[in-house]
Amino acid sequence: MDRETVEKVARSAHLKLTEEELERFSRDLGDILGYFTILDEAPDCEGFGIDPIGVADVLRDDEPRIELEPDAMLEGMDTYDNYVRGPRLL
Amino acid sequence: MSQSSVLSSLSKINEKYLMFRTVTSQTDAGDAKFLFSAKDNLTSKDMETCSGSRILEGYRPPFDATSIAKMREAGGLLIGKTNMDEFGFGTFSTNSAFGVPRNPYDLERSCGGSSGGAACAAAVMEGHVAIGVSTGGSICCPASFCGVYGIVPTYGRVSRYGLLDYGNSLDKIGIISSNASDLGKYVAIMAGADPKDPTSCVQPAIGSRRKLKSVAVPVDATEGVSEDVKKAFKDGLEGLKSMGVDVQKVEMSTLKYAIPAYYVIATSEASTNLARYCGMRYGHQDGDLSLKFDDYFTSFRSQYFGEEAKRRILLGTFTRMVGFRDRYYSKARNVRQSIIEEYRSVLSGCDAVLTPTMPFVSPKFSDISKMTPVESYKADILTGPPNIAGMPHASVPCGYDRDGMPIGMQFVANHWDEGVLFSAAEEWEKNFDAVRPEVSI
Repeated sequence: MDRETVEKVARSAHLKLTEEELERFSRDLGDILGYFTILDEAPDCEGFGIDPIGVADVLRDDEPRIELEPDAMLEGMDTYDNYVRGPRLL
Repeated sequence: MSQSSVLSSLSKINEKYLMFRTVTSQTDAGDAKFLFSAKDNLTSKDMETCSGSRILEGYRPPFDATSIAKMREAGGLLIGKTNMDEFGFGTFSTNSAFGVPRNPYDLERSCGGSSGGAACAAAVMEGHVAIGVSTGGSICCPASFCGVYGIVPTYGRVSRYGLLDYGNSLDKIGIISSNASDLGKYVAIMAGADPKDPTSCVQPAIGSRRKLKSVAVPVDATEGVSEDVKKAFKDGLEGLKSMGVDVQKVEMSTLKYAIPAYYVIATSEASTNLARYCGMRYGHQDGDLSLKFDDYFTSFRSQYFGEEAKRRILLGTFTRMVGFRDRYYSKARNVRQSIIEEYRSVLSGCDAVLTPTMPFVSPKFSDISKMTPVESYKADILTGPPNIAGMPHASVPCGYDRDGMPIGMQFVANHWDEGVLFSAAEEWEKNFDAVRPEVSI
């Protein structure tokens, strides 16, 4: 895979790569995609889904409940006055 | 080892083998009926959960994964969280940010991966019950390399609630132990419908144990496999025949597509699942908040994700991109269905499909460091097929090479048919002379 494509994919994945990483991943991804070309010859079949087994919707009554204490959820997070601290928007 | 001696020597054992990321400080087992460990990608209230990744260092979940909660309810005491490849990305447990577990048969060799710490704990502490997680081979591979029993139930049999996703259509929670009877006993405890994981809610009850009467061996099951593994597998087949099991040969033409299809699906899912690790919610939150959103996330992820995590995120992001999605992701899902159908067809005429578990014995760390990513991925060639198909499968030890390194063979059964695997492992154990590793601490 060429470096420009790797850079584009990395940007999309929120990764910034060093020069050394760009070179290495460019080579590795080229090798891996080369190995994947065997899929081109695989026969097609019908009826495939997302999961390997059949799944069904699981519904429950819409009753509010607290399973996890909100305070427990905030433990370990960078918060102030019940707000979560994050990077700036603009 | 008694429960109290395990607890009192846990830190010392871990110094030598590095199988745990975290160990309990408890020295008294109290009323515990059994001791167990859990792979470090399962959330636990009282222990840090890092999934082998620096990005999650310091994360203390506020809840137990369903599998851990059920083991505790059954009287189990969680003694530690086992070391693993970062987010399950590896075959040798060498991709952990927190040290590399050592094979109890040879400290210069790998325990396998990604549940390497779990298999190591099961091999070192006889009778210990280790919860492992398999996405593409992460239970059977380390079970084989460490000479113990491992089972991966059908996809959806054990709730994934509280599991830090790698590939959510592939992840399965199972058991590793030196005792075959533990497989059925503890899978039964963890199994069952859980509304918090809808994929667990379609399962039938676990059937009763059903004696293994016949196995099918794919004709190319030993292609590319080392001579030592071939010999042990042949001995295993002879052993099964002497137990009255019928052995037939079958063509399974779709299995050769399993590994590339697996890596496409797994990395596609992983690259979206790992988007949540951005420095605001879990683990490290020490990025530069003066940066803009995108720059903050990017700098944080670039700093803390390991090399293999980055490689798989890039691969999965690429295979989902416009223009490539049909060729890779859609095709891989299509191939998965072909593999499922071929397994079903073969299993309509026999109880299990049998192959060696791994194509070679546990390699030395010095050899692993020379492997290319493709060489490493190809090591999953035998464990990948049942995993992509969501079929239950189990690895049992079947021999040792000239250096005394363990070799395993793998039974694959139809969806929801774990009963035949429990029975096969237990019957096999009665007929196999296991060689335990010499453990000195």
